[in-house]
Amino acid sequence: MQVSAASLRMTILLITALSAACAAVRNPALDRARDVYEKARQDPAIVRNAGVALDKAGQTLEAAERLWTKEHDVAEVENLAYITEKRVEIARVTAQRRLAADEIQQTRSPRPQ
Amino acid sequence: MSRNCHLNGGIVVGEKHLFYSAAFAALIIFAGCSMTKPPTDSLARAESGARAADEAKAEELAPVDYKNARDKLAKAKAAMAAERYDEARRLAESAQVDAELALAKAETEILRRAADQVWKKSEVPPTQAELESRKPISQGAEKE
Repeated sequence: MQVSAASLRMTILLITALSAACAAVRNPALDRARDVYEKARQDPAIVRNAGVALDKAGQTLEAAERLWTKEHDVAEVENLAYITEKRVEIARVTAQRRLAADEIQQTRSPRPQ
Repeated sequence: MSRNCHLNGGIVVGEKHLFYSAAFAALIIFAGCSMTKPPTDSLARAESGARAADEAKAEELAPVDYKNARDKLAKAKAAMAAERYDEARRLAESAQVDAELALAKAETEILRRAADQVWKKSEVPPTQAELESRKPISQGAEKE
């Protein structure tokens, strides 16, 4: 009985160690894409002016994360990570465009007193 | 007689087994085919994305991203011709987002230039409209 308990404990320990090792397998491209996306999420100018574009980036990132945990498909995940980064850049550029448009609108319309 | 029946039964079971394994094989083959289907849709999307970037003068206004898109599109076509469909699809998807970024940058650049121009126009003659709008008031004040 005691031996069985010990072996059970050993098995649990082994499984924990193995799953930890699996979770620790990282993909640098995915890490970078996640980083870039999170930074953009914290930028109120992007969130306010290019929310839809940023959501698109978020969806691509989610797909990449899902694929990485499920299949560890390096080529596919790296491609999705690249697309995520570019989508964040599109969101940033879109936000800048909105700001430029606002500027034109403000200069043209009579100034508030 | 009984032996014959037994044989018949055996054949029936064997046919059933053959049917199942054939169906299973077909399923695997179809699954394999659907995974490596030529990515014509992805390529078409990338192509139209690059064309949209062309129209926005992205080659001039966002040259790096535009070139990325065009280079990858060419590589995607080459991979497609070589029947490396997964690679072709990835390249096409990547080219499409590059083209989208080039387009976004070009549009932003055009608007930014317009904003600069509007800014200059309104600043060089220092708010003429405002000066004129003040005139009648000051004249009116003088009359009074």
